[in-house]
Amino acid sequence: MENNYQLSRIHNYIHGLMSREEMFQLEKEALEDPFLQDAIDGYRLQNGVDARQLSLLQQRLSRRVEDTIATRHAQYYTWQRLAIGAAAGVLFVVLLALLYFKHFNGTAERSTDVTLSEPENMVAIEPLLDGGEATPLGGWKAFEQYLNNQELDTGRGGEIIVNFTIGKDGLPEQIRTEGTPEQALADEAVRLLRSGVKWQGAKARLKITFPIKEMKHPSQSNVIKPPHCFGIEKS
Amino acid sequence: MNEKELLRHYKTTGDLSALGKLYSPYMSLLYGVCFKYLQDPDRSQDAVMQIFEELIQKLRHYEVDNFKSWLHVYSKNYCLMQLRKDKRTTQVDIEDNLFESEQKLNSSEEAKWEERDFERLEGCMQTLNQEQKECVRLFYLEQKCYKDIADLTGYDLNKVKSAIQNGKRNLKICMERKENGK
Repeated sequence: MENNYQLSRIHNYIHGLMSREEMFQLEKEALEDPFLQDAIDGYRLQNGVDARQLSLLQQRLSRRVEDTIATRHAQYYTWQRLAIGAAAGVLFVVLLALLYFKHFNGTAERSTDVTLSEPENMVAIEPLLDGGEATPLGGWKAFEQYLNNQELDTGRGGEIIVNFTIGKDGLPEQIRTEGTPEQALADEAVRLLRSGVKWQGAKARLKITFPIKEMKHPSQSNVIKPPHCFGIEKS
Repeated sequence: MNEKELLRHYKTTGDLSALGKLYSPYMSLLYGVCFKYLQDPDRSQDAVMQIFEELIQKLRHYEVDNFKSWLHVYSKNYCLMQLRKDKRTTQVDIEDNLFESEQKLNSSEEAKWEERDFERLEGCMQTLNQEQKECVRLFYLEQKCYKDIADLTGYDLNKVKSAIQNGKRNLKICMERKENGK
Protein backbone atom coordinates (compact mmCIF):
# COMPACT_ATOMS: atom_id res chain seq x y z
CA MET A 1 0.00 0.00 0.00
CA GLU A 2 0.88 3.63 0.14
CA ASN A 3 2.49 2.88 3.40
CA ASN A 4 4.98 0.36 2.13
CA TYR A 5 5.95 2.94 -0.41
CA GLN A 6 6.46 5.44 2.39
CA LEU A 7 8.42 2.85 4.33
CA SER A 8 10.83 2.17 1.52
CA ARG A 9 11.22 5.90 1.01
CA ILE A 10 12.04 6.31 4.67
CA HIS A 11 14.48 3.46 4.41
CA ASN A 12 16.17 4.97 1.38
CA TYR A 13 16.19 8.39 2.95
CA ILE A 14 17.85 7.24 6.13
CA HIS A 15 20.45 5.18 4.33
CA GLY A 16 21.23 7.98 1.91
CA LEU A 17 19.97 6.07 -1.10
CA MET A 18 17.93 8.96 -2.39
CA SER A 19 18.77 11.66 -4.86
CA ARG A 20 18.80 15.21 -3.56
CA GLU A 21 15.48 15.92 -5.24
CA GLU A 22 13.85 12.88 -3.66
CA MET A 23 15.25 13.84 -0.29
CA PHE A 24 13.92 17.35 -0.65
CA GLN A 25 10.55 15.98 -1.72
CA LEU A 26 10.26 13.74 1.32
CA GLU A 27 11.44 16.48 3.63
CA LYS A 28 8.85 18.83 2.23
CA GLU A 29 6.13 16.24 2.65
CA ALA A 30 7.26 15.61 6.18
CA LEU A 31 6.97 19.31 6.94
CA GLU A 32 3.31 19.14 5.98
CA ASP A 33 2.82 15.76 7.62
CA PRO A 34 4.02 15.61 11.20
CA PHE A 35 3.08 11.92 11.35
CA LEU A 36 5.57 11.17 8.61
CA GLN A 37 8.15 13.41 10.24
CA ASP A 38 7.81 11.62 13.56
CA ALA A 39 8.11 8.25 11.87
CA ILE A 40 11.24 9.36 10.03
CA ASP A 41 12.71 10.64 13.28
CA GLY A 42 11.93 7.28 14.91
CA TYR A 43 13.48 5.20 12.19
CA ARG A 44 16.50 7.42 12.11
CA LEU A 45 16.92 6.77 15.83
CA GLN A 46 16.66 3.08 15.15
CA ASN A 47 19.18 3.43 12.33
CA GLY A 48 16.90 2.04 9.72
CA VAL A 49 13.79 0.14 8.89
CA ASP A 50 13.51 -3.44 10.07
CA ALA A 51 11.10 -5.12 7.70
CA ARG A 52 10.99 -8.30 9.76
CA GLN A 53 9.85 -6.39 12.81
CA LEU A 54 7.10 -4.80 10.83
CA SER A 55 5.85 -8.02 9.28
CA LEU A 56 5.82 -9.47 12.79
CA LEU A 57 3.67 -6.56 13.87
CA GLN A 58 1.32 -7.17 10.97
CA GLN A 59 1.07 -10.80 12.04
CA ARG A 60 0.29 -9.78 15.59
CA LEU A 61 -2.44 -7.51 14.37
CA SER A 62 -4.08 -10.11 12.15
CA ARG A 63 -3.84 -12.68 14.95
CA ARG A 64 -5.42 -10.18 17.29
CA VAL A 65 -8.29 -9.60 14.88
CA GLU A 66 -8.80 -13.33 14.32
CA ASP A 67 -8.65 -14.03 18.03
CA THR A 68 -11.44 -11.63 18.71
CA ILE A 69 -13.55 -13.20 16.03
CA ALA A 70 -12.80 -16.60 17.57
CA THR A 71 -13.56 -15.25 21.02
CA ARG A 72 -16.81 -13.91 19.77
CA HIS A 73 -17.62 -17.34 18.43
CA ALA A 74 -16.67 -18.86 21.73
CA GLN A 75 -18.86 -16.36 23.51
CA TYR A 76 -21.62 -17.16 21.10
CA TYR A 77 -21.31 -20.81 21.96
CA THR A 78 -21.18 -19.95 25.60
CA TRP A 79 -24.47 -18.15 25.22
CA GLN A 80 -25.81 -21.13 23.38
CA ARG A 81 -24.68 -23.35 26.20
CA LEU A 82 -26.23 -21.01 28.69
CA ALA A 83 -29.48 -21.13 26.79
CA ILE A 84 -29.38 -24.91 26.77
CA GLY A 85 -28.61 -24.87 30.45
CA ALA A 86 -31.50 -22.53 31.12
CA ALA A 87 -33.83 -24.72 29.07
CA ALA A 88 -32.64 -27.78 30.97
CA GLY A 89 -33.25 -25.93 34.21
CA VAL A 90 -36.77 -25.04 33.18
CA LEU A 91 -37.41 -28.61 32.09
CA PHE A 92 -36.10 -29.86 35.39
CA VAL A 93 -38.43 -27.58 37.32
CA VAL A 94 -41.35 -28.61 35.13
CA LEU A 95 -40.46 -32.23 35.69
CA LEU A 96 -40.31 -31.68 39.42
CA ALA A 97 -43.67 -29.95 39.34
CA LEU A 98 -45.12 -32.80 37.28
CA LEU A 99 -43.72 -35.34 39.70
CA TYR A 100 -45.10 -33.38 42.60
CA PHE A 101 -48.56 -33.15 41.05
CA LYS A 102 -48.44 -36.78 40.04
CA HIS A 103 -47.59 -37.72 43.58
CA PHE A 104 -50.27 -35.44 44.93
CA ASN A 105 -52.83 -36.84 42.51
CA GLY A 106 -51.67 -40.34 43.39
CA THR A 107 -52.52 -39.88 47.05
CA ALA A 108 -55.82 -38.36 46.07
CA GLU A 109 -56.53 -41.39 43.94
CA ARG A 110 -55.59 -43.62 46.76
CA SER A 111 -58.09 -41.95 49.05
CA THR A 112 -60.70 -42.35 46.32
CA ASP A 113 -59.78 -45.98 46.18
CA VAL A 114 -60.53 -46.27 49.83
CA THR A 115 -63.99 -44.81 49.51
CA LEU A 116 -64.71 -46.97 46.52
CA SER A 117 -63.44 -50.08 48.16
CA GLU A 118 -65.11 -49.29 51.42
CA PRO A 119 -68.12 -51.46 50.71
CA GLU A 120 -65.76 -54.25 49.89
CA ASN A 121 -63.29 -54.02 52.72
CA MET A 122 -64.93 -51.95 55.37
CA VAL A 123 -68.04 -51.81 57.40
CA ALA A 124 -69.82 -48.57 56.65
CA ILE A 125 -72.53 -46.92 58.67
CA GLU A 126 -75.12 -44.62 57.26
CA PRO A 127 -77.43 -43.16 59.84
CA LEU A 128 -80.89 -42.80 58.38
CA LEU A 129 -82.24 -39.80 60.23
CA ASP A 130 -85.84 -40.35 59.19
CA GLY A 131 -85.89 -43.34 61.54
CA GLY A 132 -84.29 -41.92 64.65
CA GLU A 133 -81.97 -39.36 66.13
CA ALA A 134 -79.81 -41.44 68.47
CA THR A 135 -76.07 -41.20 68.07
CA PRO A 136 -73.38 -43.49 69.37
CA LEU A 137 -71.39 -42.19 72.33
CA GLY A 138 -68.04 -41.20 70.95
CA GLY A 139 -69.42 -40.34 67.54
CA TRP A 140 -70.08 -42.13 64.31
CA LYS A 141 -66.46 -42.46 63.38
CA ALA A 142 -65.60 -44.24 66.56
CA PHE A 143 -68.59 -46.57 66.11
CA GLU A 144 -67.57 -47.34 62.57
CA GLN A 145 -64.05 -47.99 63.72
CA TYR A 146 -65.33 -50.28 66.44
CA LEU A 147 -67.27 -52.25 63.86
CA ASN A 148 -64.25 -52.56 61.67
CA ASN A 149 -62.15 -53.86 64.51
CA GLN A 150 -64.55 -56.75 65.15
CA GLU A 151 -64.20 -60.21 63.84
CA LEU A 152 -67.00 -60.28 61.32
CA ASP A 153 -69.02 -63.23 60.25
CA THR A 154 -71.37 -61.65 57.79
CA GLY A 155 -71.66 -64.33 55.17
CA ARG A 156 -71.36 -62.85 51.73
CA GLY A 157 -71.74 -59.39 53.17
CA GLY A 158 -74.02 -56.67 51.88
CA GLU A 159 -76.32 -53.96 53.08
CA ILE A 160 -78.71 -54.17 55.94
CA ILE A 161 -81.00 -51.62 57.50
CA VAL A 162 -81.62 -51.93 61.21
CA ASN A 163 -83.99 -50.16 63.57
CA PHE A 164 -83.60 -50.12 67.29
CA THR A 165 -84.37 -48.22 70.39
CA ILE A 166 -81.96 -47.27 73.11
CA GLY A 167 -82.40 -48.87 76.47
CA LYS A 168 -81.83 -47.30 79.90
CA ASP A 169 -78.32 -48.72 79.97
CA GLY A 170 -77.61 -46.99 76.66
CA LEU A 171 -77.46 -50.18 74.67
CA PRO A 172 -79.66 -50.91 71.68
CA GLU A 173 -82.84 -52.87 72.28
CA GLN A 174 -85.61 -54.19 70.08
CA ILE A 175 -83.29 -54.54 67.15
CA ARG A 176 -85.21 -55.18 63.99
CA THR A 177 -83.92 -55.57 60.48
CA GLU A 178 -85.76 -54.29 57.49
CA GLY A 179 -86.47 -56.34 54.44
CA THR A 180 -85.18 -59.85 54.07
CA PRO A 181 -81.48 -59.81 54.60
CA GLU A 182 -79.31 -62.85 54.74
CA GLN A 183 -79.69 -64.46 58.15
CA ALA A 184 -75.98 -64.42 58.91
CA LEU A 185 -75.87 -60.73 58.11
CA ALA A 186 -78.85 -59.95 60.34
CA ASP A 187 -77.43 -61.98 63.21
CA GLU A 188 -74.05 -60.38 62.94
CA ALA A 189 -75.60 -56.91 62.90
CA VAL A 190 -77.58 -57.63 66.01
CA ARG A 191 -74.58 -59.13 67.75
CA LEU A 192 -72.41 -56.15 66.88
CA LEU A 193 -74.99 -53.68 68.09
CA ARG A 194 -75.63 -55.53 71.35
CA SER A 195 -71.99 -55.90 72.24
CA GLY A 196 -71.01 -52.50 70.93
CA VAL A 197 -70.87 -48.97 72.05
CA LYS A 198 -73.46 -47.18 74.07
CA TRP A 199 -75.87 -44.76 72.53
CA GLN A 200 -77.59 -41.60 73.50
CA GLY A 201 -81.02 -40.67 72.26
CA ALA A 202 -84.25 -42.63 71.91
CA LYS A 203 -84.08 -44.66 68.74
CA ALA A 204 -82.04 -45.05 65.61
CA ARG A 205 -82.23 -46.34 62.08
CA LEU A 206 -79.01 -47.31 60.36
CA LYS A 207 -77.91 -48.73 57.13
CA ILE A 208 -74.88 -50.91 57.69
CA THR A 209 -72.86 -52.01 54.74
CA PHE A 210 -70.72 -55.06 55.29
CA PRO A 211 -67.84 -55.92 52.99
CA ILE A 212 -68.92 -58.14 50.16
CA LYS A 213 -66.95 -61.33 50.00
CA GLU A 214 -67.25 -64.18 47.60
CA MET A 215 -65.36 -66.46 49.90
CA LYS A 216 -66.34 -66.83 53.49
CA HIS A 217 -63.21 -65.80 55.20
CA PRO A 218 -64.21 -63.49 57.95
CA SER A 219 -60.64 -62.56 58.71
CA GLN A 220 -60.20 -61.35 55.16
CA SER A 221 -63.07 -58.99 55.42
CA ASN A 222 -61.21 -57.39 58.21
CA VAL A 223 -58.66 -55.91 55.84
CA ILE A 224 -56.79 -53.19 57.53
CA LYS A 225 -57.24 -49.82 56.12
CA PRO A 226 -53.87 -48.27 55.30
CA PRO A 227 -53.17 -45.99 58.21
CA HIS A 228 -52.17 -43.02 56.11
CA CYS A 229 -55.60 -42.94 54.55
CA PHE A 230 -57.33 -41.96 57.72
CA GLY A 231 -56.13 -38.46 57.66
CA ILE A 232 -57.25 -37.96 54.10
CA GLU A 233 -60.59 -39.55 54.78
CA LYS A 234 -61.20 -37.21 57.68
CA SER A 235 -60.45 -34.12 55.74
CA MET B 1 -14.20 0.71 1.48
CA ASN B 2 -12.19 3.85 1.97
CA GLU B 3 -10.97 5.11 5.30
CA LYS B 4 -14.10 7.09 6.15
CA GLU B 5 -16.37 4.19 5.29
CA LEU B 6 -14.24 1.80 7.31
CA LEU B 7 -14.41 4.17 10.27
CA ARG B 8 -18.15 4.47 10.03
CA HIS B 9 -18.54 0.74 9.51
CA TYR B 10 -16.46 -0.01 12.57
CA LYS B 11 -18.25 2.57 14.69
CA THR B 12 -21.64 1.08 13.94
CA THR B 13 -20.79 -2.63 13.89
CA GLY B 14 -17.68 -3.01 16.02
CA ASP B 15 -16.34 -5.33 13.33
CA LEU B 16 -12.71 -5.78 14.29
CA SER B 17 -11.55 -6.79 10.87
CA ALA B 18 -12.64 -3.36 9.63
CA LEU B 19 -10.56 -1.72 12.31
CA GLY B 20 -7.69 -3.99 11.35
CA LYS B 21 -7.92 -2.87 7.74
CA LEU B 22 -7.98 0.72 8.89
CA TYR B 23 -5.05 0.34 11.24
CA SER B 24 -2.66 -1.89 9.42
CA PRO B 25 -1.49 0.64 6.77
CA TYR B 26 -0.38 2.95 9.55
CA MET B 27 1.52 0.41 11.55
CA SER B 28 4.92 1.08 10.05
CA LEU B 29 4.57 4.82 10.57
CA LEU B 30 3.25 4.20 14.05
CA TYR B 31 6.19 2.02 14.87
CA GLY B 32 8.51 4.82 13.85
CA VAL B 33 6.62 7.33 15.98
CA CYS B 34 6.65 4.99 18.96
CA PHE B 35 10.34 4.30 18.54
CA LYS B 36 11.03 8.00 18.47
CA TYR B 37 9.61 8.32 21.97
CA LEU B 38 10.15 4.94 23.58
CA GLN B 39 13.47 4.17 21.89
CA ASP B 40 13.12 0.45 22.34
CA PRO B 41 12.08 -2.00 19.60
CA ASP B 42 10.02 -4.33 21.82
CA ARG B 43 8.31 -1.57 23.68
CA SER B 44 7.52 0.15 20.43
CA GLN B 45 5.96 -2.97 18.99
CA ASP B 46 3.92 -3.49 22.12
CA ALA B 47 2.87 0.13 22.03
CA VAL B 48 1.61 -0.26 18.45
CA MET B 49 -0.50 -3.22 19.55
CA GLN B 50 -1.62 -1.47 22.71
CA ILE B 51 -2.75 1.57 20.78
CA PHE B 52 -4.80 -0.75 18.61
CA GLU B 53 -6.42 -2.17 21.75
CA GLU B 54 -7.33 1.33 22.86
CA LEU B 55 -8.75 2.19 19.48
CA ILE B 56 -11.11 -0.78 19.78
CA GLN B 57 -12.90 1.15 22.50
CA LYS B 58 -12.25 4.71 21.43
CA LEU B 59 -13.35 4.47 17.84
CA ARG B 60 -16.70 3.07 18.82
CA HIS B 61 -17.43 6.20 20.81
CA TYR B 62 -15.64 9.05 19.12
CA GLU B 63 -16.33 10.69 15.84
CA VAL B 64 -13.00 10.95 14.08
CA ASP B 65 -12.76 13.26 11.13
CA ASN B 66 -9.19 12.97 9.99
CA PHE B 67 -8.07 9.53 11.03
CA LYS B 68 -4.45 9.96 10.08
CA SER B 69 -3.75 13.07 12.11
CA TRP B 70 -5.97 11.87 14.93
CA LEU B 71 -4.02 8.63 15.07
CA HIS B 72 -0.74 10.49 15.06
CA VAL B 73 -1.70 12.70 17.98
CA TYR B 74 -3.22 9.76 19.80
CA SER B 75 -0.15 7.57 19.45
CA LYS B 76 2.14 10.38 20.45
CA ASN B 77 0.11 11.03 23.55
CA TYR B 78 0.08 7.33 24.29
CA CYS B 79 3.86 7.16 24.14
CA LEU B 80 4.30 10.29 26.25
CA MET B 81 1.96 8.77 28.82
CA GLN B 82 4.07 5.63 28.82
CA LEU B 83 7.17 7.65 29.48
CA ARG B 84 5.47 9.57 32.24
CA LYS B 85 4.40 6.29 33.82
CA ASP B 86 8.00 5.09 33.77
CA LYS B 87 9.12 8.33 35.34
CA ARG B 88 11.80 7.96 32.77
CA THR B 89 12.62 11.43 31.59
CA THR B 90 13.29 11.69 27.93
CA GLN B 91 14.14 14.89 26.25
CA VAL B 92 11.32 15.77 23.93
CA ASP B 93 11.81 18.76 21.76
CA ILE B 94 9.00 21.16 22.45
CA GLU B 95 9.25 22.55 18.92
CA ASP B 96 8.42 19.13 17.51
CA ASN B 97 5.40 18.89 19.71
CA LEU B 98 4.12 22.28 18.82
CA PHE B 99 4.37 21.31 15.23
CA GLU B 100 1.17 19.31 14.90
CA SER B 101 -1.16 22.28 15.10
CA GLU B 102 0.32 23.57 11.87
CA GLN B 103 -1.19 20.82 9.83
CA LYS B 104 -4.65 22.21 10.35
CA LEU B 105 -3.53 25.67 9.33
CA ASN B 106 -1.96 24.28 6.22
CA SER B 107 -4.92 22.34 5.04
CA SER B 108 -7.27 25.29 5.25
CA GLU B 109 -4.92 27.63 3.50
CA GLU B 110 -4.69 26.94 -0.17
CA ALA B 111 -5.56 30.46 -1.18
CA LYS B 112 -4.04 32.07 -4.23
CA TRP B 113 -1.14 34.32 -3.66
CA GLU B 114 -1.14 37.85 -4.93
CA GLU B 115 1.75 40.21 -5.50
CA ARG B 116 1.46 41.91 -2.13
CA ASP B 117 1.45 38.50 -0.42
CA PHE B 118 4.93 37.92 -1.81
CA GLU B 119 5.96 41.34 -0.61
CA ARG B 120 4.57 40.53 2.78
CA LEU B 121 6.44 37.24 2.79
CA GLU B 122 9.67 38.99 1.94
CA GLY B 123 9.03 41.39 4.82
CA CYS B 124 8.41 38.49 7.17
CA MET B 125 11.56 36.75 6.06
CA GLN B 126 13.47 39.68 7.48
CA THR B 127 11.95 39.03 10.90
CA LEU B 128 13.44 35.54 11.09
CA ASN B 129 16.78 35.00 12.78
CA GLN B 130 19.79 34.28 10.67
CA GLU B 131 19.67 30.48 10.91
CA GLN B 132 16.01 30.25 10.10
CA LYS B 133 16.23 32.79 7.28
CA GLU B 134 19.14 30.94 5.74
CA CYS B 135 17.64 27.48 6.04
CA VAL B 136 14.16 28.43 4.92
CA ARG B 137 15.54 30.20 1.89
CA LEU B 138 17.74 27.29 0.91
CA PHE B 139 14.96 24.77 1.47
CA TYR B 140 11.94 26.49 0.01
CA LEU B 141 13.46 28.68 -2.64
CA GLU B 142 16.43 26.67 -3.75
CA GLN B 143 14.79 23.34 -2.96
CA LYS B 144 17.81 21.89 -1.29
CA CYS B 145 17.52 18.88 0.94
CA TYR B 146 18.46 19.01 4.64
CA LYS B 147 21.74 17.32 4.04
CA ASP B 148 22.83 19.85 1.42
CA ILE B 149 21.77 22.69 3.64
CA ALA B 150 23.75 21.20 6.50
CA ASP B 151 26.77 20.90 4.21
CA LEU B 152 26.36 24.42 2.87
CA THR B 153 25.81 26.15 6.19
CA GLY B 154 27.86 23.90 8.40
CA TYR B 155 24.93 23.48 10.77
CA ASP B 156 24.04 20.17 12.32
CA LEU B 157 21.36 18.22 10.42
CA ASN B 158 18.91 18.41 13.32
CA LYS B 159 19.53 22.11 13.65
CA VAL B 160 18.69 22.54 9.97
CA LYS B 161 15.49 20.61 10.42
CA SER B 162 14.25 22.56 13.41
CA ALA B 163 15.35 25.86 11.88
CA ILE B 164 13.18 25.10 8.86
CA GLN B 165 10.25 23.95 10.98
CA ASN B 166 10.43 26.96 13.25
CA GLY B 167 11.13 29.36 10.44
CA LYS B 168 8.09 28.06 8.61
CA ARG B 169 5.93 28.53 11.65
CA ASN B 170 7.22 32.00 12.37
CA LEU B 171 6.60 33.01 8.80
CA LYS B 172 3.05 31.79 9.02
CA ILE B 173 2.42 33.68 12.23
CA CYS B 174 3.97 36.81 10.75
CA MET B 175 1.90 36.51 7.57
CA GLU B 176 -1.32 36.13 9.49
CA ARG B 177 -0.55 39.05 11.69
CA LYS B 178 0.13 41.26 8.68
CA GLU B 179 -2.97 40.11 6.90
CA ASN B 180 -5.16 40.88 9.89
CA GLY B 181 -3.46 44.16 10.62
CA LYS B 182 -3.29 45.18 6.92
